[in-house]
Amino acid sequence: MKSIAVQVTNYQALPDERGHFGIYGGRYVPEMLFPALEELEAAYLEAKKDPAFHKELNDLYTHYSGRPTPLYFCSNLSRQLQGAKIYVKNEGLNHTGAHKINHCLGQALLAKRMGKRRIIAETGAGQHGLASATVAAKFGFQCVIYMGEVDVARQRPNVFWMERLGAEVRPVTFGNKTLTDAVNAALKDWIENVRDTYYLLGSAVGPHPYPTIVRDFQSVVGREVRKQLQEQEGRLPDYIIACVGGGSNAMGIFYEFLNEEKVRLIGVEAGGRGIRPGEHAARFQGGRLGVVEGFKSFFLQDEDGQIMKTHSVSAGLDYAGVGPEISYLWETGRIQASYATDEEALEALQILIRTEGIIPALESAHAVAEAIKLAPKLDRDKIIVVNLSGRGDKDIFIIAEALKDVKWQEFLKSKVNHPGHVT
Amino acid sequence: MRKLLQTLETLRQKRKLGLMTHVVVGYPRLEETIRLVKAMGETGADLIELQMPFSDPVADGPTILIANKVSLDQGTKMRDCLRVMSQLSGEMEVPLLFMGYYNLIFNYGVEKFCQDAAKAGAQGLIVPDIPPDEESEEHYYEACNQYGLVPIIVVSPASTEKRLKMLANYAKGFVYAVSRYGITGARAELAPELIDYLKRVRQFIHLPLAVGFGISKKEHIQALAPHAEIAVVGSALINLYNQLPEGEKIEGIKKFIRELKN
Repeated sequence: MKSIAVQVTNYQALPDERGHFGIYGGRYVPEMLFPALEELEAAYLEAKKDPAFHKELNDLYTHYSGRPTPLYFCSNLSRQLQGAKIYVKNEGLNHTGAHKINHCLGQALLAKRMGKRRIIAETGAGQHGLASATVAAKFGFQCVIYMGEVDVARQRPNVFWMERLGAEVRPVTFGNKTLTDAVNAALKDWIENVRDTYYLLGSAVGPHPYPTIVRDFQSVVGREVRKQLQEQEGRLPDYIIACVGGGSNAMGIFYEFLNEEKVRLIGVEAGGRGIRPGEHAARFQGGRLGVVEGFKSFFLQDEDGQIMKTHSVSAGLDYAGVGPEISYLWETGRIQASYATDEEALEALQILIRTEGIIPALESAHAVAEAIKLAPKLDRDKIIVVNLSGRGDKDIFIIAEALKDVKWQEFLKSKVNHPGHVT
Repeated sequence: MRKLLQTLETLRQKRKLGLMTHVVVGYPRLEETIRLVKAMGETGADLIELQMPFSDPVADGPTILIANKVSLDQGTKMRDCLRVMSQLSGEMEVPLLFMGYYNLIFNYGVEKFCQDAAKAGAQGLIVPDIPPDEESEEHYYEACNQYGLVPIIVVSPASTEKRLKMLANYAKGFVYAVSRYGITGARAELAPELIDYLKRVRQFIHLPLAVGFGISKKEHIQALAPHAEIAVVGSALINLYNQLPEGEKIEGIKKFIRELKN
């Protein structure tokens, strides 16, 4: 599939007042959700104009989350690849270990401002649930996390932390018992409790105004990169690479540079076990325009418009749809879409660990894989910035399993057989 | 459109609460859907919704969600939905409507779907996730009107006055009023919130109201009768169907509908 390059004068002017990015986005929701979305939009527009809101958010970014996160020059990796200079924006050094905290803090402040006392969220692998439970603990919100029963069983470490943080994890027992069903359950809760409840959405997806709200709270990432690279290199990057699930970390780092047309932007999707139906989550490799979960964008769907099963080793990229602004930027030719397979991501993860001593999240490893492919083709004076959206040490169970680490499996067995023993 | 408008007119003249029932096409099997719809029509359903199964039915509860999944797992396709509609509408005078999510229609092609659905005998469409707010992009209401399908508007207790006024411009046939409020107390009276809500809708939209709030008993229908024109029974029918023993399912559904109607 090819995108068609078109002339756009200002990429930062979107969405329009009804949440459209070109033909993408919008608010395709049942009537019962309209009042809640209108209330949220009004509250956000007001907060956006309020300097006190921004000050409070920036203070939290600095003192709670640890921003600015470093922009680090990977000298060993760059030397080994004998090509462009590779920098990583290390979002993994945020509190809770990933960029997700950026929009969770922003939305928590918004919820507080709206007078809500309760936040709800859906989660697949549990990362977004964990970040939501974290801000709920900090701000004193009652918190309910909807999670498919299958995921609750698979992701016990995250469930453990969510519960310690005071959240109630409600297993969803219908449908496939995974993310889609969790979204469904969370939406129903929101419809019934909209007066006191804020729905904390986990990515730059969903009906207007969520894609814009999430992007805006994430855009601090790109602003920091511009400043940090200016200090270190005195110029703009040539390439920026980010992995794309829904698009929150990608929009976060891309947004600042959208009108810098010399900066090439690459979004890396999950190639899974290869580009075959049901085996991947690369929406720009065979996905089609659709309207699902409240917005118009690219979705992996069958000939009837039924959403297809996806696969990726990284839970954060394992999603059949992509945020509307990403689709718009792809269609206009402003961003280029690429993908990395499970195997390539796992290899990139090990390369980055060995060369730089940095453990990326599996999601971020997809972006690293693209940089490893690209760098050797470029001159040494070129600069690539990779958004390292999260760190991987928190994913030890998933990564150890993906790497089929035999000693880890033995360790788990010994823990089961001799609980409480120190081995 | 003709059958639907005629039914609405008959209900108005008789001043009787109409009954709209619901099936998921292909649940549990296509042939069974056909038998069920016919049985519903024979026993007094005034309107019947045929839901086209979808992978992500966000506005439905667990019962209907599971029915959607079972139907898709059986391999139900859009062409099956249209075929079932065509066969049934040819054999019944009861107006049949398609219910479904917008992606199915968008993917099919909005205009082509409206054309084919009308040709198959559908009287109207109930699509919860295509608000008129997106009409300048989608031209869905325009296509419905062009091919003689009634686009049913859905309202909710949360709908503001401003939205009800806007929705009134698009509403045709009847209005589908969803509600969480239902019956309160031992005397089986409608919740006062529900009565207020229906009154509020009537201020702005002057069409028959179809109301669904998990109706599962005759008492619910009796309580609703003074306040609405049509009672919607959806998941209760699927639940009953699931509970009935094999071989008694269709008869059991018929008995239930007869009870509701008397």
